[in-house]
Amino acid sequence: MQGLILLYYTCNYITSVCLMNFDLGNSKVSGVTAIEADNLTKIYRDNIRAVDGISFSVKQGEIFGLLGPNGAGKTTTIKMMITLTRVTSGQLRILGVDVAKSPQEVREMLGYVPQSISVDVDLTAYENLLIFAKLSYVNKKERNERIRSALEYMDLSGRANDLVKRYSGGMMRRLEIAQALVNRPRILLLDEPSIGLDPSSRKQVWKSIKQLNQEFGTTILITTHDMSEADELCDRIAIMSEGKIAILGTPTELKKDVGGDVITVNLGSPCNIVSFPKEVGRIINNNEKSIQILTTNGEEAIPLIADFFRSHEIKVESISINKANLDDVFMKYAKRRLGDTVYKSIRSTRRDFTRHSR
Amino acid sequence: MSVTRFIKSSVTVAEMEARKIRHDSTELWTRAIQPALWLLIFGETFNAIRTMPTGNFSYMQFITPGILAQSVLFISIFYGITVVWERDVGIITKLLSTPSPRSSIVLGKSLAASLRGVFQAIMIFALALLLGVKIRFDLPDILGVFAVVVLFAMCFSSLSMLLASYMKTRDRMMGIGQALTMPLFFASNAIYPISIMPTWLQYVSIANPLSYVVDAIRSMLLEGTYQNLPVDILALLVFTTIFVTLASRTIKKLLE
Repeated sequence: MQGLILLYYTCNYITSVCLMNFDLGNSKVSGVTAIEADNLTKIYRDNIRAVDGISFSVKQGEIFGLLGPNGAGKTTTIKMMITLTRVTSGQLRILGVDVAKSPQEVREMLGYVPQSISVDVDLTAYENLLIFAKLSYVNKKERNERIRSALEYMDLSGRANDLVKRYSGGMMRRLEIAQALVNRPRILLLDEPSIGLDPSSRKQVWKSIKQLNQEFGTTILITTHDMSEADELCDRIAIMSEGKIAILGTPTELKKDVGGDVITVNLGSPCNIVSFPKEVGRIINNNEKSIQILTTNGEEAIPLIADFFRSHEIKVESISINKANLDDVFMKYAKRRLGDTVYKSIRSTRRDFTRHSR
Repeated sequence: MSVTRFIKSSVTVAEMEARKIRHDSTELWTRAIQPALWLLIFGETFNAIRTMPTGNFSYMQFITPGILAQSVLFISIFYGITVVWERDVGIITKLLSTPSPRSSIVLGKSLAASLRGVFQAIMIFALALLLGVKIRFDLPDILGVFAVVVLFAMCFSSLSMLLASYMKTRDRMMGIGQALTMPLFFASNAIYPISIMPTWLQYVSIANPLSYVVDAIRSMLLEGTYQNLPVDILALLVFTTIFVTLASRTIKKLLE
């Protein structure tokens, strides 16, 4: 009997040591790609190709953004990862594990925050985490500590024993993320994490996402159609449109793709500029009193442009800068079903310009 | 290892329900109203006019096990609506995204339904005491009734979840629940003996699972006989296993 007890404790000790090592090595398992999709396809009934042969890979430790308009197939892609919907064809591997073959093993490595609120509002925050920790088989000894630290991390400790139905939307969102953190996921899947949040709650959610990535090396896949969110958070971005990946790259690369920053100079009196230094930028629009110049880096170009006009003794009334942002990239690659012509502004001028100049 | 994990997950899902009931138990009390009315109005009336051939027992004694079975049937056959509602608020998505096996989630949900069934049984026992209905309050009998109630609720709630994964909406589940409960209830021995039915209906009631449940509960609470009990329990176990297996395969459809 005593032998058995000893054996039990030894086993427990060994598993806890292993778990500790696992936690420390949480950030990186060398060589394995975090998420690997190869020709991934999902066809729903009625022959709707929600995801149409996409291939991409997410490195460990990366924050990867899946962008696209509503109905582009982002959520379906995430649902295939968390094994809530079956892969029709193609391959999908999470840390080297095929989702079709070992769904349970895959779910053990993932944390998932769905698009709509999915915490149980009839339970307290603590209970939500407790139930989830139990269903994720978090070691009993670690359970309370993990729940406590997850609540603290998401700044919910003070109201842990309140029913969730008394929470605000932002708090529910944070609770949702806390819930996903309880099983210490290697990869966190966030489906539109800041939808319906006010700016300050959104900032708070962003901060914790970044912190998670930096402190624990958690790989994060995030879907959004908010370009500022993607620009703020993501290391790399894939823009999806009608089930396909339209373009993939870092935010900087993508912004370069649609051209650089546009500087508008308003002149005191009409004048005709014959030559403009190429190293500063290119004039893309000149209607005598207002000149638009395309530059690669707007901030650096402004003093040079000011100097240029001063040296030519042309009076400048104002200079404004219009920085390239991901909205332009989004509009270029995400096909829209409605209102294709809505977007008419200086940006489209710039896009046309860069397209023609190639 | 995986068996312990399976059981742990099922119990956890039931625990979730228990915690919800602890926070708000209004539903338990309102659920007790309907069987109370059956006993008070229907039961007392027929008891007074003594038209039912209920043998050595009074009509109140006869109908109490029937009403117990009926109210558990109602809870479990409409349990799919709860699950559809939980799908709508994202709870099912959350449960299915955990590493727990899906069959353990379904089994846990059916355990949750049986938890409500047990509360219902307690209410009806209390009511019977209050109305002075003579039933056997021996410990083995009471425990036996609870066992049957638990299995019965698990069986029909898993059937309800199986149906819910195809029906997908609360309205349709409401309709299908009504369509199932009425024939199950009236073509059984819950409120009158099978012997007074027309012959064709007697055949229907033989195929009716509710008749066996009522029979099992009645034999324990009134006669104190147990010879049919093994068969009843075995039948319930077999059907529960079948329904839980099928429902755990289909429950994912709810999300599509």
